[in-house]
Amino acid sequence: MKRSFFSGPYALWMIMFTIFPIVFVALYAFQDNTGAFTIDNIARCFEGTYMKVLWRSVKLALECTALCVLLGYPCAYFLASKDFSKYKTLFVLILLPMWMNFLLRTYASMSLLERNGIINAIVTGLGFERWNMIGTEGAVLYGMVYNYLPFMVLPIHTSLKKMDQRVIEAAQDLGANPARVFLKVTLPLSMSGVISGITMVFMPSVTTFAISKLLGSGNFMLMGDVIENQYMVANDWSFGSSLSLFMTVLILISIGLLNRLDANKSERSDNW
Amino acid sequence: MVEDTKLIELKGICKSFGDTQVLRNIDLYIRRREFVTLLGPSGCGKTTMLRIIGGFETADEGELIFDGKDMSGVPPYKRRVNTVFQKYALFTHMNVYDNVAFGLKLKKPEELLPGTANPSRRQIKEEIDRRVMRLLRLVKMEAYAKRSVDALSGGQQQRIAIARALVNEPEVLLLDEPLGALDLKLRREMQLELKSMQQQLGITFIYVTHDQEEALTMSDTIVVMNNGCIQQIGDGKRIYDEPRNAFVANFIGDSNILDAVMLKDFEVQAAGRVFECVDEGFEENEPVDMVVRPEDIMLVGTDVGMLVGEVQSVLFKGVHYEMFVEAAGIRWKVHSTTMFPVGSRVGLSVVPSNIHIMHKMDRDGAKAEARA
Repeated sequence: MKRSFFSGPYALWMIMFTIFPIVFVALYAFQDNTGAFTIDNIARCFEGTYMKVLWRSVKLALECTALCVLLGYPCAYFLASKDFSKYKTLFVLILLPMWMNFLLRTYASMSLLERNGIINAIVTGLGFERWNMIGTEGAVLYGMVYNYLPFMVLPIHTSLKKMDQRVIEAAQDLGANPARVFLKVTLPLSMSGVISGITMVFMPSVTTFAISKLLGSGNFMLMGDVIENQYMVANDWSFGSSLSLFMTVLILISIGLLNRLDANKSERSDNW
Repeated sequence: MVEDTKLIELKGICKSFGDTQVLRNIDLYIRRREFVTLLGPSGCGKTTMLRIIGGFETADEGELIFDGKDMSGVPPYKRRVNTVFQKYALFTHMNVYDNVAFGLKLKKPEELLPGTANPSRRQIKEEIDRRVMRLLRLVKMEAYAKRSVDALSGGQQQRIAIARALVNEPEVLLLDEPLGALDLKLRREMQLELKSMQQQLGITFIYVTHDQEEALTMSDTIVVMNNGCIQQIGDGKRIYDEPRNAFVANFIGDSNILDAVMLKDFEVQAAGRVFECVDEGFEENEPVDMVVRPEDIMLVGTDVGMLVGEVQSVLFKGVHYEMFVEAAGIRWKVHSTTMFPVGSRVGLSVVPSNIHIMHKMDRDGAKAEARA
């Protein structure tokens, strides 16, 4: 039996649930509600209202990605270092949130940040003024970073773990102190992991929805929310599809740019 | 020339990884400009010893003295020692030039240009360029400066690793089986090149290998190790001609090792007869190992041989034939340029000076002999 036979179910799955939907989205995007061809819906994407939402989405996604790099790199670095390898539990704790549905996690965040939530209970209990967290941009950003951080830690951790220890020793041997070893060897050699991480975090965060709705109390509509609304509330599938297509193109462009940044594409692909 | 000053001294070095004792009470000194080879089978502790000298491992016990100063607690980047790593460990994110320049770019301007006050950026760049290109010329790689290291063959990567380690002008170069990944012909070429480089630069080389031929070709001094202990220290000829115990005899070159009994000075009994030899100072009737090199056994007529036997097998080895001759219940390995066909009867003869008598060794091998 041919080996390709075994890929059959997968191919079928892909066609049913990935290719077809994309084709439908593309078709809907160029149709009005009578089914006639139009580019009006695409043109509407560029209206001021949506551009503002897009800008907010991109800004939040960039902030989220930057924070994930800043928090995730040191975290991955310490997890990959020799002294921490005994603390397997720590690694599991980092991964643990990934195994739970993100909605559950976001609801949990809500109960932490709410006006009468756990944090405010502690804050007021200590005699301080109630802290207004829920419904702020900060809360949305927090929710995104919390959700996407593991996707940054993992690829960086993998690229650090893969690194040949002898290369680090060679740098020390040639006179590099620990700071120089990190800047001149460790960091450049783990850039492939950082770029994978950026891809893994930026892509989903630019299309975030629900988090913004739940933690931003609807004050911060993001592209994901707008698209969801077009399908679920406004019932304008054509415009929803246009926006989706628009986002897809944007994401493809940014993947292309990131790939160009990454010199070692071959290495990157086996980080994930 | 090897100078008569001790540059590196190891005193009572012990090292364990978990329950495994890798180095047991190592005493060794290395002289300035000496080419020292640490030779032994894998797992004998030779690489660990090199890593202790390089600063990548710390000894559990004992002292490492470099040029009169105790090196304990000195990190690798502060030691005047550079290393050529086993798998080269080149920086894959840099090209050939930047790999070699790495050590120089870390130097302070006053280290790089000692005579110049406030050297300009350009002067520094030119100095680095001058030194890098000199090293690349030394390893015959100047045409490859802008290449990516991934695009190089194993032998070329090896050359870059050597140039990179030499660019800081270390007093000691540590080499951890640097030729292990190369094919035989290239390995032989590189052996000679390394040796001439060492003589040209006048620095100390400490070379780790399990290849006895490599050790004999290059070294001023060979340190034979087994099981975490030094078995013998000496130059190649001495170790080959006068192995201290059966392990050394067996590891360096081919040997016939026989259980024998020393009857008295200059007389040893083995294979059912008494041989005349040149060794003395053993106890009477002491059980000993008797070693005879295959090339020292002469095949003679059956009427004049000390022993008479039958040729069991013949292998052509290029310069000589390797034959196994069964005589007096022992399979003798014999190297000879004359071939005797399988089944023919031959006489075996050895001159007394080619019979080597050595004490039976204990499990860990004998303690190192003092350097003459």
